Amino acid sequence: MNARERVLAAINHQEPDGVPVDLGSTPSSGISAIAHYNLKHALGKAHWPTQVYDVVQQIAQPGEEMLDHFRIDVVDIGRAFDDRPEDWYDITLPDGTPVQFPTWFKASPQPDGDWEVFNQNGVRVATMPLGANFFDQTCFPYVDGYPASFDDLPNVMPLVHWAGLAHSPWDHAGEADFWQQLRARTLALRASTDRALMVVIGCNLFEWGTFLRRLDNFLVDLVTDQANVERLLDALMEQHLQTLANVCAAVGDIADVARFGDDLGTDQGPFMSPKTYRRLFKPRHKLLTDYVKQHSSMHTFLHSCGSIYKLLPDLIEAGFEIINPVQTIARDMEPVRLKQEFGKDLTFWGGGADTRFTLNRGTPEQVKADVRSNIEALAPGGGFVFNTVHNILPDVPPANIVAMFEAIDEYR
Amino acid sequence: MEEELLDAIFAAILDGDIPGAPGAVQAALDAGLSAEKVLNEGMIAAMNRVGELYECGDYYVAEMFTSAKTLQAALGVLRPHLQQSQVQSAGTVVIGTVKGDMHDIGKNLVTMMLEGAGFTVHDLGPDVHPSRFVSAVLEHQPEIVALSALLTTTMPAMKTTIDALVAAGVRAQVKIIVGGAPVNDEYARHISADGYAPDASQAVSLARALMVN
Repeated sequence: MNARERVLAAINHQEPDGVPVDLGSTPSSGISAIAHYNLKHALGKAHWPTQVYDVVQQIAQPGEEMLDHFRIDVVDIGRAFDDRPEDWYDITLPDGTPVQFPTWFKASPQPDGDWEVFNQNGVRVATMPLGANFFDQTCFPYVDGYPASFDDLPNVMPLVHWAGLAHSPWDHAGEADFWQQLRARTLALRASTDRALMVVIGCNLFEWGTFLRRLDNFLVDLVTDQANVERLLDALMEQHLQTLANVCAAVGDIADVARFGDDLGTDQGPFMSPKTYRRLFKPRHKLLTDYVKQHSSMHTFLHSCGSIYKLLPDLIEAGFEIINPVQTIARDMEPVRLKQEFGKDLTFWGGGADTRFTLNRGTPEQVKADVRSNIEALAPGGGFVFNTVHNILPDVPPANIVAMFEAIDEYR
Repeated sequence: MEEELLDAIFAAILDGDIPGAPGAVQAALDAGLSAEKVLNEGMIAAMNRVGELYECGDYYVAEMFTSAKTLQAALGVLRPHLQQSQVQSAGTVVIGTVKGDMHDIGKNLVTMMLEGAGFTVHDLGPDVHPSRFVSAVLEHQPEIVALSALLTTTMPAMKTTIDALVAAGVRAQVKIIVGGAPVNDEYARHISADGYAPDASQAVSLARALMVN
């Protein structure tokens, strides 16, 4: 099996010849720039560039050599952009780590050590306080209430840093020939690699509510103002379905997996009841997944952090085939339980190594034990792609990352 | 009559009736109910019930947040009366998200839930330097200091903050409680905090228990 066949077998619930592995195919299955820098030095590969392709989360795009070194089976089609040296510039992060930023991204260091980001109109859209390792959203366009009309939504969305500072390929979305470029570059990527291809689409719904209204307000809206929530979701769906149509037309016959996102869970349970999910979000998620299934050959992938056990039956009915990051330390999210109850219906893309305690602060032996136990729970019969529970953060020691891959190698 | 007025406050908070709650409190005060009774038997009773409903899985974060916001609206009416009648506070808490961490939704929910349990809470906001915790302790003389962090990378600032309280000689006079996604019991013990709670509802139980001890 080649890498792509391995990933597709797993998604089709056939046991592949070895556990397929992801590192960096999405901005929730990757490695932070600082951890990347530390890792490459530990591997004696100081010359590998550390390119921060997701500037909000400060995530590095693993280069071809790192993918080969760790035998990674899937890549993000976004890597087909920003592929010239002049697309990047050297910069030193506040902690002293030298990295590269995309040339379109400029952060302004402040006298107190915080880094701020302003858009072209001078609006402060993001901040990274001294001591932090990624940018937080500072502009919430609808924080004071819902507008009478959502006609200006396409202009308002870029005020949210996730959209305004989007990772590749979306940093090129404003260019006149973007969709043609996306197809051409994805075709070239397909021809150059036998790895599976991921397209990160987003189409977040609950999260866009929280981006526009701010989380605390939007949570209250879910309970007290569902009429306005539905108006907003309908306006978002118009944007999302248009994006989806363009994505399917451009790469729906080339890419293997379409990655949606919507963080529905906290550590202790979903943000909302299954009843609220069913009423407000499920029908709309179903429209998105139906579109992909009818207009492309791609599999549907949902990234949702947190404890979503109570929502999983509805998410399956909504048409998602794959879930990520499988936050195994959240309530009710034990790997054995998930595999037993939902293993026939879902592919677990994640849950391979805990990124909150063990990988960050455990010993290499503890990391290996965690990895083995997760693989043995989730991999049998397919339906599993190895990935850490979300991104590898700056505080993860390189020795633990190496130990993680050594343990994975026992299963491939 | 009295029971009906208290029931109306209880129901408004439980149902998340943000526009209706202040009126329900005003009606009870107008009818001559004491501020203490309104607080204890209307509002705190309702928030206790919200906590129970959350813990048994009937309420989710959305409902808990809505009830907490409703409580805030109700407290806006009640607070001047509480001050006038010098109702005994359940305790004083200084709370904040530690340096380098901008995340304050969880901390805000804990703040509202503590207020709903009758605590006086001084909220220092997000990204709080250790020295600001020290000066707030000196100023407000709290029984409890509550520290929040969302990230594994900012969690060490909890330790730095505790070190600053030790260095300032005020560590012994407060109980320190910690919470946030990357934190657990083990970490709380590791940094010599006095307690950890996994969610806002349990943070209230923890604060109450520490007040008794």
